[in-house]
Amino acid sequence: MLPTTPDVVLDVRNFSLRFSASEGMPNLVDNLSLTVARGQTLCVVGESGCGKSVTSMALMGLLPPAARIVSGSARFEDKDLFTCGERALADVRGNRMSMIFQEPMTSLNPAFTVGEQIAEGIRRHRGVSKEAARTGALEMLRRVRIPAPEKRLDAYPHQLSGGMRQRVMIAMALANRPSLLIADEPTTALDVTIQAEVLSLIRALQQETGTAMILITHDLGVVAEVADYVAVMYAGRVVEYGPVDAIYDDPQHPYTIGLMGAIPSIGKRAGRLATISGSVPAPEHMPAGCRFAPRCPFSEARCVETAPPDKIVEGEHRVSCWRAPIEMLEMPIERHADMQAGMGVAQHVDKHLGSAA
Amino acid sequence: MKDNTRPMLEARELVKHFGGKRTLWARTPVVHAVNGVSLSVQRGETFAIVGESGCGKSTLGRLLLRLIESSAGQVIYDGLDITHLGREAMRGLRREMQIIFQDPYASLNPGMTVGQLIGEPITLHRLAGRGERDERVAHLLRTVGLQPDYATRYPHEFSGGQRQRIGIARALAGEPRLVVGDEPVSALDVSVQAQVVNLLEELKTGFDLTLIVIAHDLAVIRHMSDRVAVMYLGEIVELAHVDDLFDTPLHPYTQALLWAIPARHPRHRRNRPALSGDLPNPTQPPTGCRFHPRCPHARPSCATVRPSTEQLADGRQVACHFWREIQHAGGSAPLAAAPSAKLSQRLDIYRARQQQASAAALDAQAGIASIDVA
Repeated sequence: MLPTTPDVVLDVRNFSLRFSASEGMPNLVDNLSLTVARGQTLCVVGESGCGKSVTSMALMGLLPPAARIVSGSARFEDKDLFTCGERALADVRGNRMSMIFQEPMTSLNPAFTVGEQIAEGIRRHRGVSKEAARTGALEMLRRVRIPAPEKRLDAYPHQLSGGMRQRVMIAMALANRPSLLIADEPTTALDVTIQAEVLSLIRALQQETGTAMILITHDLGVVAEVADYVAVMYAGRVVEYGPVDAIYDDPQHPYTIGLMGAIPSIGKRAGRLATISGSVPAPEHMPAGCRFAPRCPFSEARCVETAPPDKIVEGEHRVSCWRAPIEMLEMPIERHADMQAGMGVAQHVDKHLGSAA
Repeated sequence: MKDNTRPMLEARELVKHFGGKRTLWARTPVVHAVNGVSLSVQRGETFAIVGESGCGKSTLGRLLLRLIESSAGQVIYDGLDITHLGREAMRGLRREMQIIFQDPYASLNPGMTVGQLIGEPITLHRLAGRGERDERVAHLLRTVGLQPDYATRYPHEFSGGQRQRIGIARALAGEPRLVVGDEPVSALDVSVQAQVVNLLEELKTGFDLTLIVIAHDLAVIRHMSDRVAVMYLGEIVELAHVDDLFDTPLHPYTQALLWAIPARHPRHRRNRPALSGDLPNPTQPPTGCRFHPRCPHARPSCATVRPSTEQLADGRQVACHFWREIQHAGGSAPLAAAPSAKLSQRLDIYRARQQQASAAALDAQAGIASIDVA
C-alpha cells in the first residue's frame, strides 16, 4: 500500500541538460520533474537515447565534462544535488545515495577482492575499524544471499558469475543503508533465470530497508515486476507518468501505447506486432513541438508546432499529449450518437477510416 | 518438383569441442559446446533454438551452416550430406544458406557502401550483370523498407534498426532458401525490434524461406516460431511445437525458463522459487543429466545416468528421466496477461491509424496522390 502522505526522498524539478558543444541546440533532457518516496520504486522507462541514463548520472554528479545542467533542482534530504558541490556530493554518494550499473564487471575493480571493495565504502562513510568493516561486508554478502559468503569475501570479481557480481554490486550499494538507490538497467546483462532472482532480491531488500529506488530500464517486463510508479521518457522528456497499474491499464500517450503493442505476448500469438515507425531523433534533429510527433500516427499541426502541456488524467496519472485520450479524437462530434447506440470505438474507427484493417 | 516432405536441414549427433590444444606446458581445457545434437528443420517452418548464454546455441547455428567445422556428427542440407563437402561445392550452396547476425554495428564492413554490401553476394554468385545489379539492390532496399537512394551511403549513417535491415537485405541478395537469424533483434530497442520481427515474417512468406531463429527472448520466440528446441549446456533438453512448449513445458529446465519470464502486468507479480545456482563450467560439465545440480526435482540417478531423448507424440522430444512424474509439480506455463479493455481499444485505434498512415506514405512514394480518408 502506498502511504497517504509519502515522505519524499528525492524531488527533481524542471531539470534540463545539454551538451555544451551544442549551443543553440535543443536540451537533451528537457524540463524533467519527478519525485520518489521512501520505500517506493519509480521506474524510468524508455528506449536508447531518451535521456534516462544521463539523468541518473546528473543526480549522482557523474556527468561527463561536456554536459551542462541548464536549469532545475534536485532536492535530496537537505541538499540540492545540482548545486551542493563535489565535496558534499562525495559524502552523499555510496552513503545516503548509491547506484547499481548495468555491467557489474566494468564497475568492480578487478584488482581488489569483493570483501575489500564492500568494506572500503563502509570505512569511508562510517569511519569504523578494518575488522568491523569486514564484518559489515560479510553481513552484506549474506543479505544478498550469496552462497558461502565467508569464501566469497576473498574472491576477485573475475572468479564470480555475472549474477553473483551483480549481487556484489547490490551489496556494495546497500552497505551504508542509503535512503535512495539508483539502478541503471541492473538486470539487462543477465539471463532470464538470473534476472528473476536479482529482481526478487531487490524487491525483498527494499521491503526490509525502506530504501527508495529509481530503476532505469527499457524492459516493460521489469517495470511490471518492481515499479510502484512509472515515468515514460521519450527523447529527453517525460511523456507519461503515473502509478504502475494506471500505466498498464490505462496508457494514454501514443508512445506508451505503441510500446505496449510492440512487445510480443507470452500467450497465444495475437497477430502482427504494433510498431512505432521510424526511430528516435538524433539530438541535433530534435523536433520543435512534441518530440514524438514525427513518429506519431495521431500528430497534427499543433503537435508539430507546440510542445504539449501536462494533462492530469486522474489522480497522479499525467500525460503530455495534445491528442490523448486517442479514442475521443477519433470521433467526429456528430458521431457521438453511434457510440451511445452501443458501437465500440474500434468498429467505429474501422467504419469511418474506411477498411484500413 | 522438389520433395516437400524431406527436411530442409538435419543435424545428426552433432558435436563441437573447443580447446584441447597442446601448449608448451599443458593442454587447454576442452569446452563441450555442442554435445550430440540431433534435429530436423522442416521446409517453410520457423524453427527456434532457445537457451541462456553459454548453452551453445550460437555454436550450433554456425555448425548448421558449416561456418565452423563440427568435431563429429553430420549436417544434411536438403538431402545432401554437407558435413565434408568440398570448398567449391560448399560455395555454391552458401548462396542458399544465409545468416543474420545479432550486432548490426559489427557485422557490416564500415568501408563499403550499402550498395556494395548488398551487391556483393549478387556479383559473387554471378546472379546479375552490373546494370541489373543496381536494380536488384534498389529492389532489395525497398523490400526491407529502406529508400533505394541509401545505396550510396555508408553503414555508420544509419541507426541500429536500419543497419539490421541492411543486414537482412544482404542476406536476401543471394536468394537464399534457408536463413539463420542469430539473435536478430536482441540488440534493438523494443519499438524497432517489433518492426524487424514483422519484416522477417513478411519476408519469410514472401520469399518462401525456412527460418532458424536463435534467441534468448522467450516472448519473441513464442511470437515468431513454429517449433522450439530448448538447449542447456550444449544439449537439447526439449523440442516441441511452440504452443505445446509454452502451455505444458515438460523438462524442468524449460519450466524454470518460462517461470522466470517477467510479469506482463503488475497484478501478475509472483514470488518465484528461482532456479538456484549458475550455469556450470562448460569445461567440466556435470555427469549424468547436465541439469541435475540445478534441478529442483533431481534424484540420485540423475547424477550418474545421462537421460536419453524420449520421442513423444507429435514429434515432441524430452530428455529427462522423470518428466512424467514432474509434469504437474509446480513448473507451470507463464501467465499471459490479457491487455485491459482500454489498452486493447487504443491499440486497435493505434494500429488502424498507423496502417492508414503507412499506406498513405507508400502511395506518396509511388507517386500516387494519397487519398484523403479523413
